[in-house]
Amino acid sequence: MDPKTKSAKKNSAKRATVKTAPAAKRTPTAKSAPAAKSEPVAKDAPIAAKRAPVAKRAAAKRASKPVESAPPPVESAPPIEPADVAEEIRALEEKLDRIIASPAVESAHREENAAPAPPSRASDAPAEEETVFDTARELLSTDFYLRRWGQAAMRNRSEEVDDFGYDPTYEARVRPLFDFLYTRYFRVECRGVENVPASGRCMLVANHSGTIPFDGPMLKTAVKREHAQKRDVRWLAEDFVFHFPFLGSFETRIGAVRACQENAERLLRHETLVAVFPEGTKGIGKLFRERYQLQRFGRGGFVRLALRTQTPIVPVAIVGAEETNPMLMRLESIAKPLGIPYVPVTPTFPLLGPLGLLPAPTKWKILFGEPIPMTASPESETDELLVARVAERVRGEIQRMLDSAVKGRKSVLFG
Amino acid sequence: MAASKLEQRKRDARAIAVTGTASFLGQNLLGLLEEDASVDRVVAIDVKQPPSGKKTRFYDVDLTQPAAEARLAEILAAERVDSLVHLAFHASPTHAAAYAHELESVGTMHLLVAARQARVRKVVAGSLTLLYGAHPSNPNFIAEHQPLRATKREPFFADKIEAESEIARFGERSEGTLVTVLRVAPILGPTVSNFLTRYLSRRAVMTMMGFDPLLQFVHEIDAIAAFKLAVDRDVPGTFNIASSGVLPLSTVIKLAGRVAVPIPHPIAEPLNALAWVAQIAPAPSTFLPYLRFLCVADCARARDVMGFRAAYTTREALTDFVGAQRLRDVKLLQEA
Repeated sequence: MDPKTKSAKKNSAKRATVKTAPAAKRTPTAKSAPAAKSEPVAKDAPIAAKRAPVAKRAAAKRASKPVESAPPPVESAPPIEPADVAEEIRALEEKLDRIIASPAVESAHREENAAPAPPSRASDAPAEEETVFDTARELLSTDFYLRRWGQAAMRNRSEEVDDFGYDPTYEARVRPLFDFLYTRYFRVECRGVENVPASGRCMLVANHSGTIPFDGPMLKTAVKREHAQKRDVRWLAEDFVFHFPFLGSFETRIGAVRACQENAERLLRHETLVAVFPEGTKGIGKLFRERYQLQRFGRGGFVRLALRTQTPIVPVAIVGAEETNPMLMRLESIAKPLGIPYVPVTPTFPLLGPLGLLPAPTKWKILFGEPIPMTASPESETDELLVARVAERVRGEIQRMLDSAVKGRKSVLFG
Repeated sequence: MAASKLEQRKRDARAIAVTGTASFLGQNLLGLLEEDASVDRVVAIDVKQPPSGKKTRFYDVDLTQPAAEARLAEILAAERVDSLVHLAFHASPTHAAAYAHELESVGTMHLLVAARQARVRKVVAGSLTLLYGAHPSNPNFIAEHQPLRATKREPFFADKIEAESEIARFGERSEGTLVTVLRVAPILGPTVSNFLTRYLSRRAVMTMMGFDPLLQFVHEIDAIAAFKLAVDRDVPGTFNIASSGVLPLSTVIKLAGRVAVPIPHPIAEPLNALAWVAQIAPAPSTFLPYLRFLCVADCARARDVMGFRAAYTTREALTDFVGAQRLRDVKLLQEA
């Protein structure tokens, strides 16, 4: 078997390995310019559909003549004609490939040399320097860098997000950080996680604290790590988070949802585990001397929601978070124009700059209480008295858990 | 017997008037109605001649003219119009704000007065989910009962909000007339052209640094189908028309094969304002909040009440647009 047919055979079997064909360099043919130019086009052909603009353009350029003769796109049949054009291109490509595949035609083409673009195979691959030039040209084109930039933008991102923008790939990417915070930094001790039901909708109601609230992500990590079913928690975040650049999109991707009745109800109707911090900004804006004293629980919106959707409530006490960034003062006047509820003054914050916002490595405890079932009828959400009573009961339960945990604690840093 | 049958047929004979037949939605809806055997006449009202059809009768009426009212009433009565579809709205912001105001706000008023005179049985009007406005305080899915909070500084929104409130007032006052308003999400597809397709057809696309809002689109076919559905079924009320699923802006740009150029939003506003004045920006700066905050509509009502189901998801609508856009990029597909 002479090297030429050998290479041709190999080529037809494995198109992708065009470059490695042994006879490529030795064959003295196809030094002419047009054939050489067509080389990258041929390489692109089988995967043209998958490749980004450049390959597309190459394929398109090749196919442009036949397509122009096709009837021009008609307005009245919108969805069909682009598909048609794509179909045609594909058909033409197949035809070309078939022609190329037969060696007789190939040699004929080479002799004629007048063919518009005889895509060469491995056997008549041009000299190596041509490929180098092609690579160089690609490297010099802006398109290449734009494409790379585009790819870089998505390297840590899922193709699809859920209705609320939760991005599993991104979340998996940042999970090690939260795992580190959970196990090493805050050394979270988790108790009573079995009170969280194995399935179905449920609302975790917790105290909120810590100037920079880490309690949402930590609560999520706790349930993910310790719960038998490894359930996902979606927590409701304050509005102001979403005003901010970076913070808002970051929280959205890792599973936070803007706190409002519509969102919470939608989540619960999808049988999700939802964490709620009814204290809201009042909670994270607590001064150090107010620590572990629950603020008012909004207007009991979470209770109305639980009654409406018949969702059991699991009270959660988070101990240790309140000392991460002990706030001595709140500056509210300069916070307004910045769109945040307050500017905290901690022992370290404006003093050490942004570094001062790092949380103190306190020892955390997350305690899950007994679930409180919501058995009243959904219509009872309008019963103000009932709502207030349930809210007070949940609040009392969390306060009780907080008090006993704080009392039993010997050290803030070591538990 | 035969007479009553004839009578019956006459009563069933439907004449449907469409305004704004030169618009993308109007033009395509005209085509659909033309093919529908149950429609006898299609009355096209615009200043531009639509593609001629067997059933189509074109009336050259400029809604901005004060005399349009009487003329429209005459036409609607003479053609015994059963349903009126109002689509004479700009799909993209325009520099001719004064004309847009006359057309959308005042034109709607003229049209509704005429519709009342002619006792039209049903009015279907197009609107946009963009009118809800992009705010950080929006729920992730905005239902129809929520207020329209788009900024009134932008005439594109203000005129449409005015038109919608006029339609709502008309619905309250005129008994016996069904009023359906379809709030359509930004339309994407292989043939449609609007500010969004222009935004996504740039090689480098401006984004707001640090913001990655979730976006929602509707495929052009679904949008047209929704209007056809509203013509065919009697479903009074307001409906959000959008595809299922949302995509972050960054993913949208990635799928479109574009490059995001993040710009801090305080700088972006004057920059874009300049670009808009220079007519190189696809939309004025009042559209920039849509690149920062959520404006996603909840289309549960359209599904439950109207029976509308989008055939394309947001992602599929986008990829369909991108497929055609790639061909346009290499000049394989001519701009419509």
